[in-house]
Formats: sequence, structure tokens, C-alpha cells
Amino acid sequence: MVTIADLGILRSIALDEEGCIVAQVTPTYSGCPATNLIQQMVLEALHEAGFENVRVESVLSPAWTTDWISSEGREKLRQFGIAPPTETSNSKRALFGETLVTCPHCGSGETERVSEFGSTPCKALYRCLACREPFDYFKCH
Amino acid sequence: MSGTCEPMMTSNQTLFSYVLRLADDHLILSQRLGEWCGEAPTLEEDLALANIALDLIGQARALYAYAGQVEGKGRDEDQLAFMRYERDYQNLLITEQPNGDFAHTIVRQFFISAYMDPFWRRMEGSKDDMLAAIAAKASKEVTYHLRHTSEWVIRLGDGTRESHERMVEALDDLMMFTGELFEMDAVAQEMLQSGVGVDASDLKAEWQHTVQTILQEATLELPKAGHMQTGGRMGRHSEHLGHILSELQYMQRSFPGLTW
Amino acid sequence: MYSQGLIGADGKTHEDAAFLAAFQARIDAEQKIEPNDPMPEGYRKTLVRQISQHAHSEIIGMQPEGNWISRAPTLRRKAALLAKVQDEGGHGLYLYSAAETLGVSREEMTEQLLSGAAKYSSIFNYPALTWADIGAIGWLVDGAAIMNQIVLCRCSYGPYARAMIRICKEESFHQRQGYEIMIALCNGSEEQKELAQDALNRFWWPSLMMFGPPEGESVHSNQSMIWKIKRFSNDDLRDKFINASVPQAEKLGLTIPDPDLKWNEAKQGYDHGEIDWDEFWRVVKGDGICNRERLKNRRRVDRDGAWVREAAMAHAQKRAARTASARIAAE
Ligand SMILES: [Fe+2]
Ligand SMILES: [Fe+2]
Ligand SMILES: [Zn+2]
Repeated sequence: MVTIADLGILRSIALDEEGCIVAQVTPTYSGCPATNLIQQMVLEALHEAGFENVRVESVLSPAWTTDWISSEGREKLRQFGIAPPTETSNSKRALFGETLVTCPHCGSGETERVSEFGSTPCKALYRCLACREPFDYFKCH
Repeated sequence: MSGTCEPMMTSNQTLFSYVLRLADDHLILSQRLGEWCGEAPTLEEDLALANIALDLIGQARALYAYAGQVEGKGRDEDQLAFMRYERDYQNLLITEQPNGDFAHTIVRQFFISAYMDPFWRRMEGSKDDMLAAIAAKASKEVTYHLRHTSEWVIRLGDGTRESHERMVEALDDLMMFTGELFEMDAVAQEMLQSGVGVDASDLKAEWQHTVQTILQEATLELPKAGHMQTGGRMGRHSEHLGHILSELQYMQRSFPGLTW
Repeated sequence: MYSQGLIGADGKTHEDAAFLAAFQARIDAEQKIEPNDPMPEGYRKTLVRQISQHAHSEIIGMQPEGNWISRAPTLRRKAALLAKVQDEGGHGLYLYSAAETLGVSREEMTEQLLSGAAKYSSIFNYPALTWADIGAIGWLVDGAAIMNQIVLCRCSYGPYARAMIRICKEESFHQRQGYEIMIALCNGSEEQKELAQDALNRFWWPSLMMFGPPEGESVHSNQSMIWKIKRFSNDDLRDKFINASVPQAEKLGLTIPDPDLKWNEAKQGYDHGEIDWDEFWRVVKGDGICNRERLKNRRRVDRDGAWVREAAMAHAQKRAARTASARIAAE
């Protein structure tokens, strides 16, 4: 399962001076509907693990980027059928231009974009020209 | 989203007002874009417009939450977004203009994105940590909005005779609301002087350059600047805002004080 | 360019006994059928019909919920609802693409929807009247959809099965959000609780109908079962849904609007009252309060957007021509 640590959404977990566990999470997109849910679930998970004195903080800066997705996270995404973002995203070209997206199903590089957005803002819809699989691509951001 | 940064100046009326008006801009514009849901010319565009609207709501929420914190009276994002009267909203007039046809929506979004793009980039250097952090996220997002709308401006301007004519009309209709973008009233001035705000008047050249470059590629022209409408920052709106609010506020007004 | 219709597009798949037996053997061995594999025309057609209906349902389903975006009670709810409706549009697009692997184009499928020839889930012909309906739709309608779709994750057609795995994840997110809206209402004032109960009253029976009539009357299900496109009977799935939903309603403190609902110890599940299949058929056949409107809206959107699509096409052609002539000039 892809975790929020794999995705770089969980920024840090530390103890503050008063002994409170502080989990720092960062939203991916300003309007990501999962932001609240993620914070809630982190809190629940810490409580379930027996930690009482916990706090979840949202950090906006530095802004989240897909570069923070770990290589393990990328591999897990691929196994789930989502093509992971191409390696670096520091230029606008990488996000909007001709990115080479390989099919997570058969590995072919012969793919084309169907839509700039899939069901969520973080994904685009592609299709493979070799095996014809439609698949989501996790866009660089 | 709960802010963790302390406001630079506690209970600063000017900062509150400055953040609030920015929040209003984003809320009202996202409310307009939300009206497109399920109505766009292609399914792909439906997803794209919804995505832009989502970015804007996200930005509005961060701004309202911060405004509430600055004000220090315990008002949360929803009380600020839903529980004020018409004259208290300080959004720019262009954000409340009706969607019209797709050309009008694209031109409206294009004009605003071409302005917000350099605006947020400069705001990243604000002395106010929270505004700088919000700007860091927003500027990544608005870059996309600008690119997306630019592409449509070019497609529609260059496309068919009908689409070209519709674009000319949309540009004509919306031009008079662009002057307000660059106004610097007392609030904006004070924020600029304290190193918190952005000099909007200074963005005009960049805005014109961006807009004209794209319009040229689209075989369109920026209409002559005639009389520019103003008033949004003082709560003097067009007739459209009231109707937006009657939908926006419907639940909060019908069932005051409840949790949803 | 994407080329479509490699499979059986020539209509000349030789469906002799040996071919059909070999195909069935693959199905029975739980092998996935992939787009480039030979398949009987009936199998292909069944899938095209089912996947495109599913896609249409996602698209039409945007309407009842889209109706509440401008009026959502808080910013968080507004963002979540807008994102949900965007999700549904994305599902529609994904499913149209999955159907396209079977040699049918999105244009054809859209045409069938607009002309009224294609069906979509009848639940979307019921109106979303109050904010509580948004909660009930997420909880029950997405919940029922998940019940249907979880079994489709094992469907014999590869692209559809894999699409379902990913779509199911997002549907569970929708259901969770819908249920959360219901929790907020049920923890709220008397009025809010009444809104919640009223929404449950209106959406309970139509949600049960989403699984379709009992098998005897359902025409296609037998062959679909053999082909492992479908893997459970309508009644089985409906029972699972009821068994999952009743405790959820109890937790909310709401009453399921079925006086005959009773726990059956022997079958370890609930028995339910009579479903009004006359109403089901009436709405399926076009006489629900929203049927006309839903289709008319799609047609209007299609008409209003025509000039935009034409312009985009014209621009693309002009650009291609300019690039070509620039290349010629350079040579
Ligand atoms: Fe869906
Ligand atoms: Fe859904
Ligand atoms: Zn492939």
C-alpha cells in the first residue's frame, strides 16, 4: 500500500518541548479533498497506537512537489496501475510538455494523453498504444 | 487547514482587510467556475474547470482561515465566507461577472490568471510568513491556470469565425473590469509599505505583456481601455453579487449556527 | 494515432465450436481477456453495453450532485462535493476509454446516450432535494455502486477489471464522505436529523433497485455469469448491501423505511419488504421526475459546446497546416 510517507505528504514526526507528538503534513494541492481526511487519519492512527498527547500540523511551505515521492512510493504506484511522475519536475516543461509516460501495465513507452485531468487533479488520463490499457498518470507538480 | 504561523501584527485591521479581500476574490470566482460543473463543452474541460475551481476554493480557505486568525474574534473560515452582507464582500468586480458563454469564462479567467500569476510570485517574498506560504502553493497552481486559459484564448481566437467573434465580444465586455486589478487603495498601500503586500500597480506592465502576447497569437486585440469600473474593494458591486450570495449563503442563512 | 477495432471489427471472427470452447476454457481458468485477444462478438457486445452504460451513469450522475455545489453549507463540504463530481466525470472518461479498447468510439457512445438509446443507472432520475440528499447519495448510492463494482474487479475482461480496482478506491472515499455528512446531520439539531431521515426515506428503496430486478426477469445475466462478466446474482449483491447498511443506519440513529425489515438468524442476514418493481420499470422507461431533464441537459450542453469543439478542431488543423508549410519552406 502506498503510504503518506511514500508520497512525501507526511513531512516529519517529532516531540515538542512539552512532550507532545507533532506530525507535520503538507497538502498536495490547495483544493485536495483528501487533506482533511489525511489529517484525521494520522490523528486516529497515533491514538490507536496508544499515543495520547498528539497534534497534527499543516505546513504549507515549502510547497509539496512530486519530487518528494520516494522511489519505493513510485514503484508502489506503478504496481497499483498508476504511472508515477517522471523523475524531476523542476521545469514547467516537465509538467506540461511532452513527458514520456510508460504504461504501468505492459511497460511500453508508446502512450498518449487522453485528458490533462483524470478523476482527481493530481492525475492525467493516458492510454497505451501497445496494449491499449487506459491508465492514470500521476502528474509532476 | 489550520494555520500554525503567528500573525505578524496581532489584531491588525489592515492586514485583516487585505487578506479578506483576497479570500473574497478567490471564493467568488470559484463559485462562478463551480457553475460550469457538468456544463463544459467537453468532458476533459469539465474536469479542468472543476480543478481550477478547486484550487481557488483551497486558496480561499487558507486565506479566510488566516483572516480569522488575524482578526482574533474567533470567526472561522465559514463565518467569514458565508455570514457577511453584500456590502461587506470586497472582491474584484471581474470575479463576480456571469459565466456567459465559454469565451466569456475563458477571457475572465485569463485576465485574472495573468494578474494573479505575478501577484502570487511577488507575494512569496512577503514579510508575512503565512501569506508567503499561501503564495508559494498558489503560484504553482495559478501558473497552470494561466497556461490552460492561454491555450483556449489561442484556440478560440484562431479557430473559427464564430469563435473569433465570440472572443471579441468577451474581450469587449470584460475589459472595463481590468482597471480595478491594479488599483492601490489605502489598505494596499499600507500593506505594501510594511513589506507584507504587493504593489498591484506595478503588475500592470507584466499583465499587459502577457495578455498581448497571447492575444496576438490568437489573432485578437486587447480593446482600447475606456472607462474602468471600480468599487469592489469598497463593497460597491454589480447586481450579480447578490444572486451569487443568495445561493452561496442559502444553507447558513436558512439554518443559522448549525454544524454541517 | 490510436487505431481501434482490431478485434472482430471485420465481423469475421470465426465463432465455431472449437473457438468458443477454447475461449470458455480461458474464462474458466480465470485468465483475463485482453483487448488484443480474440473474443466472441457476443462477449464484446455485452461488455461494450455494460461499460458504456456504466460510463453514462457516471456522467449523468454528475447532475443531481452538481445541483448542490453552489449551495454547499461550508467551504470544506463545497470543495469535497466539487471534487467528488469531478471524480465522477473522471470515472466516466476512464470507462469510456476502457470501452474504446473494444473497438467502439466515445462519439458513438455519446450519440447513443443523447439519442436516448443507451441506458444509465436509473437512480440518477431521482432528484437531490436537500443537502441531506448529498449525504444519502454518497452513503447509499456510492455504497451500492461499490457493492456492484467490487465484484467487477474480478471481471474476466482485463481493462474493465483493472479500471474497477482503481475506481472502487475512489468510490469508497465518496462513501466515507457521504456517511460523514450523515453523521454531522445526525449529531446536529432536530431539523438536521429530520433532513437526514427524510433523505434516507427517499433514497433507500431506489438504492435497493440499483442492483436490478431478481434474476428470473433479468435477460442478460445468465450468459454474463458464464463469461464471468458478472459474478453474483442481483439479489445476492442487494442482500450484502442491506446487511452492510442496516447497522450503519442504526449507528446514525436513523430508521430504515421498511417495516418488514427483519434479521433472519438462519441466513445470518436481513429479510426485506417487497420492492416496488413497477416503480423501477416506470422510471427506467423514462417516467421518473428527472429523466427528461437529465437527457435534455446533456443535449443542451452538447449543443452549446459545439462551437467550442469546432473551433478547437479548426485551430488544430490550421496549426498542423502551418507546421507542414513551414517544414516545406525549410526544405
Ligand atoms: Fe464514480
Ligand atoms: Fe462516486
Ligand atoms: Zn501498455
